[in-house]
Amino acid sequence: MLTRLTGGRIVDPSNGRDDIGDLWLRDGRIVARPDGAQADETHDVTGCVVMAGGIDIHTHVAGTNVNTARLLLPELRAATAAESVPITETIGRLYAAMGYTMVVEPAISPHVAPQAHLELADIPLIDTAILAVLGNDDYLLRLMAANEGGAAVADYAARVLSGSRAIGIKAINPGAAAAFKSNMRSFGLDDAVPNSDITSRAIINTLQAATETLGLPHPLHLHCSNLGMPGNAETALATMDAAGDTRLHIAHLQFYAYGKEGKRGFSSAAPRLAEAVNAKRNITADIGQVMFGQTVTISSDVLRQFNARGSARPRKSVIIDGDGNGGGIVPYRYRKTDFFNAVQWAAGLELFLLINDPWRVFFTTDHPNGAPFTAYPDLLALLMDRSVRAQHMETLPREAMEVTTLASITREYTLPEIAIMTRAAPARLLGLADRGHLGTGARADVAVYRTQPDIAAMFRDAALVLKDGVPIIRDGVPVARPFGRGVTVRPEFDTAINRGLSDFYERVYGVSHAAFDVPGAEVLGRSQAFEAVPCRT
Amino acid sequence: MTELAKAWLNGQPVAPARAAAAAASLLAASRSAVLAGLGTDVAGARASVALARAIGASIDHMDAEAVFANLEVMRRAGWIVTTPLQTRARADVVLLVGDGLLEAWPDMAARLALSEAPRVTGGGRQVVHLCPGAELAESTATPRVMATPGPAIHVLPTVAAGKLVLPTLAALRAIVAGRNTSLDEAAAASLRNLAATLTAARFGVIVWSSATLDTLAVEMLCGLIDDLNRTTRFAGLPLAPANGAEAVTQTLTWTTGFPPRTGFAAPAPQHDPWRFDAGRLIASGEADAAVWISAFSPKPPDWEPTIALVPAGTAFPTPPQVVFEVGCPGRDHDAMLFDPALGGIAFAAASTPSATASVAGVLAAITEALPPC
Repeated sequence: MLTRLTGGRIVDPSNGRDDIGDLWLRDGRIVARPDGAQADETHDVTGCVVMAGGIDIHTHVAGTNVNTARLLLPELRAATAAESVPITETIGRLYAAMGYTMVVEPAISPHVAPQAHLELADIPLIDTAILAVLGNDDYLLRLMAANEGGAAVADYAARVLSGSRAIGIKAINPGAAAAFKSNMRSFGLDDAVPNSDITSRAIINTLQAATETLGLPHPLHLHCSNLGMPGNAETALATMDAAGDTRLHIAHLQFYAYGKEGKRGFSSAAPRLAEAVNAKRNITADIGQVMFGQTVTISSDVLRQFNARGSARPRKSVIIDGDGNGGGIVPYRYRKTDFFNAVQWAAGLELFLLINDPWRVFFTTDHPNGAPFTAYPDLLALLMDRSVRAQHMETLPREAMEVTTLASITREYTLPEIAIMTRAAPARLLGLADRGHLGTGARADVAVYRTQPDIAAMFRDAALVLKDGVPIIRDGVPVARPFGRGVTVRPEFDTAINRGLSDFYERVYGVSHAAFDVPGAEVLGRSQAFEAVPCRT
Repeated sequence: MTELAKAWLNGQPVAPARAAAAAASLLAASRSAVLAGLGTDVAGARASVALARAIGASIDHMDAEAVFANLEVMRRAGWIVTTPLQTRARADVVLLVGDGLLEAWPDMAARLALSEAPRVTGGGRQVVHLCPGAELAESTATPRVMATPGPAIHVLPTVAAGKLVLPTLAALRAIVAGRNTSLDEAAAASLRNLAATLTAARFGVIVWSSATLDTLAVEMLCGLIDDLNRTTRFAGLPLAPANGAEAVTQTLTWTTGFPPRTGFAAPAPQHDPWRFDAGRLIASGEADAAVWISAFSPKPPDWEPTIALVPAGTAFPTPPQVVFEVGCPGRDHDAMLFDPALGGIAFAAASTPSATASVAGVLAAITEALPPC
């Protein structure tokens, strides 16, 4: 089957392409223009922008914490929960309608990976992956306390990645969830887990080293300590320093972009963070933009969520002292009239606009923590049109705008920059060589947007989306319902680690460590086998 | 569905495909069908949703009352909970509440290592069983058997009049919060000792089975846990209801947004624990066709199903029109099931694989055989 997209503006920054021309697809892959061949199917996309399918590197769409949020908020189902915690079918449809073809659920504790993969298997249309959470798990802390060394940690991490079928490692306020079980109520970068000398800093460095030893394509993905607290920009800056020269991805940086300036003791410190990111080539960050409205915060930072219970709207929350991280579900409403929320909104936009390199800044709302992913089109409009930003600022508390620099920023994202931030860079960050671009041999995941003055409308309902070369969306509406793949890494490791793990699990937990392993695609109900991304050699 | 699957139509053995076609005709002709029982695995729950959507039926689980005893508290007020592994590894105080704990989880004492010290945190472990043999309501008959044996467990009976759980829990919560109670001095003293144990705990866990506690008792326990967390760490460990209810509830939630007792007659699913109670729908005559799904237990419901998916040996007073024999998930066929020892959904390989059909296989065959609408 040979398909031709003709007449569109092809924006493919990975291959240096931004011109009006044709794109040819055959059997699920992008191909060079074949000599003399006739297309079996031609899509006239004149007046449209053609990009690779979007990839979201950080969106909470599956797992026990997300499902608990669904159970917690039945009264919001008809209204906002349908967007903040959509069901699996809706997740696939809404993402695909926006031209996204892959998403990464970034916070799955290995022991609950089987449920997460069952949920992901029920999301139609798009490819999915998870990050496995380490850093509060008893076994890692035991390896570190016993000075077992980097090789043992790397073998353990590889065993976890393999068992939980993950694409990378995430650490979430490392040490804090373990400390909270011992009744510590705050936990910073240099605090130690009780009854040990293991600090958050040491856990971060240990997991960075394991990531590099294994050659994982994705750097350690870190949710720092002190999320949401005034003055926590210092924590983010110290964490970037702690990373040394090794790669580190900092998740939802906006939630750490706070100073203590101004009458309210709360201000945007985004310019300082952006400056630090610009200076440190080893750092990448996604933003976790706040948009206004009802949502629910779903986080494995159980300590932070416990402390945030008082802000719950509606007034109820779930806290889980889980294996490893656990989590907390706290519904929340971001309000335009709220000084703090307005500063958060501005700080996120400042980060987007002041970080110079679109290859190192990633487009997220930390769905649904800053906003549901359905707010993406509106966020793109804010980034690409400063008059849209100005209109919004008019409606926000003046006092809040005074503690940010947003009003002074004139930058507008270009389409190639958007294509980098939402496609090319995510593919590169995850090690997906055949995604995020439109070069020959790439997977034929293609999004087509109709150019129009209303940027949000352009990106909300893609004119055409193809997954593996098959049209799945036309004018924002599904026209087919294939299921995507699960994507993993499979690092090599010394299976001797299984002995120690087995002993520990039997003795401490009374169960087999292998009992938590995620079974094969068929048992999960997937129609396609898992795809393994190669490690770096 | 394999060729070896067994099925009956009006009491006569027939080819499974013929039974599926007959079941499909019955359901297609019904105006308001209900899928009840739902004793199945994740695949069976998915297939139930697909069939219910196709025919506009509603879905209920046979242990939904126990699901809602917990869920109504969680979704009204929230809660703080933990896992069996964390309980075993860290809990220095375990408070068992009420009856039915071993019925809900026969291996509980061994799996939680109640008679051993917590391995991660070290130190000792105190276990107290509060209100064994207690009654939920005055009208309930003889006291239940105390469920948790073992010399290491300190048993504290109900102290309030009438052997009621709720007043005992209420008094305990009041004492923990430093308030007065109406108990006499002897009764109050035993609860004061317990309150002192709880407040001195470093990581305490309260274990209950919602099959024997009602919503008010669960709410009182969750409130007590909240109060204790002002100064120390405490969490709940609600034991999962029977017949696969936990994995089914999770699956329905990610596929439909709601737990059991959800209807699919409207374009969007509607959830209402009263309206879509299968027992009520059938007793009132609102449902004109009922599918009974029970892969774990041969016990029939106390009403007459139209179609049944049941294990061998199920004896109905009046046979349903269509019966399919199904295997047990995790025994006859591989399954994804909630495992109480793991505290989550996990892979359960078939322990003695057989060719008996799965619930998912039978329901898919019925759905497939539905006439196009």
